[in-house]
Amino acid sequence: MTLLQGWKGVLSDDRTKENYKQYVTGWEEKIHSLLEFDIDRNAESAAAGPLAGVPFAVKDNIAVKNFNLTCGSKILETLNSPYTATAVERLQAAGARVVGKTNLDEFGMGSSTDNSALAQTNNPWNLNAVAGGSSGGSAAAVAAGLVPFALGSDTGGSVRQPASFCGCLGLKPTYGSVSRFGLVAYASSLEVIGVLAKEVDVMEAVYDIIAGRDEKDQSSVARPEVAPHTEIKKVGVLRQIAELSPAIEAAYQAAIEQVKSLGLEVVEIDIPALDYVVPAYYTIATAEASANLARYTGIRYGHRTADDSSMEQMVAASRNEGFGDEVKLRILLGTYVLRSGFQDQYYIRAQKIRTAIRNGFDEAFQAVDVMLTPVFPTQSFLRGEGELTPFQQKLADKFTAAANLAGIPALTYPTGVAGGLPTAMQLLAPDFAEHRMFELVRRLTDEQGNIAPVGYDEGWRK
Amino acid sequence: MYQSFIGLEIHIHLLTKTKAFCGCTSEFGAPPNTHICPVCLGYPGVLPAANEEAMRMSYMVAKILHCTLSPKCYFDRKNYFYPDMTKNYQISQFHDPVGRDGYFDIEVEGEHKRVRIHDVHLEEDAGKMIHSGKTSLCDYNRAGTSLLEIVTEPDLVTGKDAEAFIREFRRMVRHLGVCDGNMEEGSLRCDANVSINLQGQGLGTKTEVKNLNSARFVRKALEYEIKRQKRVLTKGEKVIQETRLWDGDNNVTAGMRTKEKAHDYRYFPEPDMPPFCPDDAFMAAVDERMVELPLAKKQRYLNDLKLSLDAAEFLVEDSKFCDLFEAALALESSEPKLVANWLCGDVQGQLKRADVSLEESHISAGRLNELVGLVESGKLLRGKAKEVIELIINDDKDPAVIVKEQGFEQVLDESQIDDWVKQAIDGNPQAVEQIQAGNKKTLSFLVGQVMRFSKGKADPKKATEKLEQALGL
Repeated sequence: MTLLQGWKGVLSDDRTKENYKQYVTGWEEKIHSLLEFDIDRNAESAAAGPLAGVPFAVKDNIAVKNFNLTCGSKILETLNSPYTATAVERLQAAGARVVGKTNLDEFGMGSSTDNSALAQTNNPWNLNAVAGGSSGGSAAAVAAGLVPFALGSDTGGSVRQPASFCGCLGLKPTYGSVSRFGLVAYASSLEVIGVLAKEVDVMEAVYDIIAGRDEKDQSSVARPEVAPHTEIKKVGVLRQIAELSPAIEAAYQAAIEQVKSLGLEVVEIDIPALDYVVPAYYTIATAEASANLARYTGIRYGHRTADDSSMEQMVAASRNEGFGDEVKLRILLGTYVLRSGFQDQYYIRAQKIRTAIRNGFDEAFQAVDVMLTPVFPTQSFLRGEGELTPFQQKLADKFTAAANLAGIPALTYPTGVAGGLPTAMQLLAPDFAEHRMFELVRRLTDEQGNIAPVGYDEGWRK
Repeated sequence: MYQSFIGLEIHIHLLTKTKAFCGCTSEFGAPPNTHICPVCLGYPGVLPAANEEAMRMSYMVAKILHCTLSPKCYFDRKNYFYPDMTKNYQISQFHDPVGRDGYFDIEVEGEHKRVRIHDVHLEEDAGKMIHSGKTSLCDYNRAGTSLLEIVTEPDLVTGKDAEAFIREFRRMVRHLGVCDGNMEEGSLRCDANVSINLQGQGLGTKTEVKNLNSARFVRKALEYEIKRQKRVLTKGEKVIQETRLWDGDNNVTAGMRTKEKAHDYRYFPEPDMPPFCPDDAFMAAVDERMVELPLAKKQRYLNDLKLSLDAAEFLVEDSKFCDLFEAALALESSEPKLVANWLCGDVQGQLKRADVSLEESHISAGRLNELVGLVESGKLLRGKAKEVIELIINDDKDPAVIVKEQGFEQVLDESQIDDWVKQAIDGNPQAVEQIQAGNKKTLSFLVGQVMRFSKGKADPKKATEKLEQALGL
């Protein structure tokens, strides 16, 4: 097996170890993708296995014993995790070693990673551009070649959008196919641990290791005994998308042409409920977040205020000091939509839209094998003038969040570079048809060549 | 004329080995914060995993309460902040609980009453807070243990009804083996809702009474509260809807002095737990563990087995005694009344003296029958039975073996007894004189002499008869 050959000896040899540290440090001065980096701390890994000796990074909202679990928040800045997430344990059992924890938007809430309270991560392609979010640290680290793959989490596009901004592959698996045990909850019914990688073979190998039923996560499911077929004949595309930037519009048209050139039939699909993705997504996500984030009070762990004049005051002040604005906004919104007497209007209505979206995809997959859509209406955006407002960023979650509401798998892949920044597209497939997407991406990127930022280097590994 | 309405909310700690959603032991009484893990402490990233035994016990209770059982029950999150709640939401059931619309029969002063059950739902318990001066400490050993809540309709009328309900309910959960029913330790807790209104006007404004840690307090608190509400209404004032605490020292209820906030718990479905759908195997296991309700058992003991009320009451109070009693009857066709009397009498007395529970005591159905048989056939002196029971408890031996080893056999040989009688009369002329002079009390002294000669093996009744005969009385 040639998979990850260049990476396997990296941590065992003093010379390459030193090269590795230098390479990472060189990049980190510019991009700040890692909140922690320590190639020797994680001793839990098995000596043998398909990923023996391979380093990887983990988004800092996924638990790894002996590493911090900050979630990019001041409220958990001091928390050291007492346990390890199931997905990480499975990779460790396959021989892979955690070398760092990656930056993120606080608790996964954001599309730029600029909502992290602890560090600002820059896009390796342009240090003034955002890495995307919320798994921006994982995307930047993979794109810069600091690790061959990283784990992220995807609640509404948090793996796929930063992957598309940084020019690497991003996988959001089928809901429940990867255990959420150890993933700090933001919106439990929507999110799943995902994979960011440079190569589709690596992504596939990692997915095969982390997927499967876990007794610690009762919402996890075993993969079906008969896997969905991987043969692709028809590809669905969306008709009439008004909101795309010119570069993404061009990339989408080019991707459709490429699909045709592979001899596949392109079928136009219309899912009317897609227009309601964003409001439904934010209603459900914030409702769940308002409960999921209630546990952070400073009483048992994490930031505790100096103001302990009363129990109520201590909790309120700890939360006020510990949470950032975006987190507070979403907790308030979620509390609002769950009020008794208002659930019909918001939460239950959103659940109905969710069902309609799921039905829309079920119907679409009667007609096509996979769907091809944009990931995000724009490429990575620059900070400062002309950047997307937080509200615009939310509206732009439409293509990615649809997969979370439906629970289906989605994979984003780089299609090229425009204006010095990567472009990317997204594939969507029925439940558990991840391998169908791996197959198609292999064909679509076969002749693509290495899409990498300036400064990306593999030479130090030899 | 006022009418009163009482509804109860009963919480029971299920006797599962582990907590409801993690592998921590649910044992009571350990040093603070020793039975905890990331899951029950609500660490970031952890998930609940439902305890199947807790589900089974919940369905058992719902079934025995004649509820409609849910084919697909859901969990919900009940949101509120309190330091003893590690997640600041409680996993509970709101929309689709384990069971609904059941009933439970009780007996109040000989009269049967049927109380409707609104619902039965499973939830997790909170930890405990210990307040000391300006500091508050949290102990999370109890956090996440399985708690089953049973809510009745407001069908109870008096404090006595409520007390009877609690006692009958406690017996039921003990027989079912799902809860130890200990109110002092808090494994069975009860809150009561009570309102009064003029006859025919329906429910009034209710108050909720808490801090009721015995069945007697439930009665006393409700009797007080009904009287208090009557006084309020008679004065033309209104009852305030509030939570009141029972003050057992002063025998009054008092309004909680906290600001009563209108709680909005913002219930919504727990996304971490898929709905629970009991399958045939699960329901078969539930059916297998169903038991006869203690009240029905008591009726059967009284009507069919002709036990005394005291004996029947004593037996159904403890399912272990019922089990032994019924096993003994099943083994041999002994007289039920006789077996029951032995159990309620000397067996119970000796267990108490030795401070040993029935299960640990080596007393089995076979040994119980053997003991009764030995006494009935006259092979064992009635007066030695207590010692035999004590030795069964201590030495784990069969009654016949004990009787033989200890020489407890009764002497049945008439001529031997005649000899001892003669010996007693000959050796105590003064006593004989007194008896013949009319002092019959002295006869018992002579009986005592016979017993002494026989080393206790003579039947005192027989000895009395023979002495009377010999003295021509």
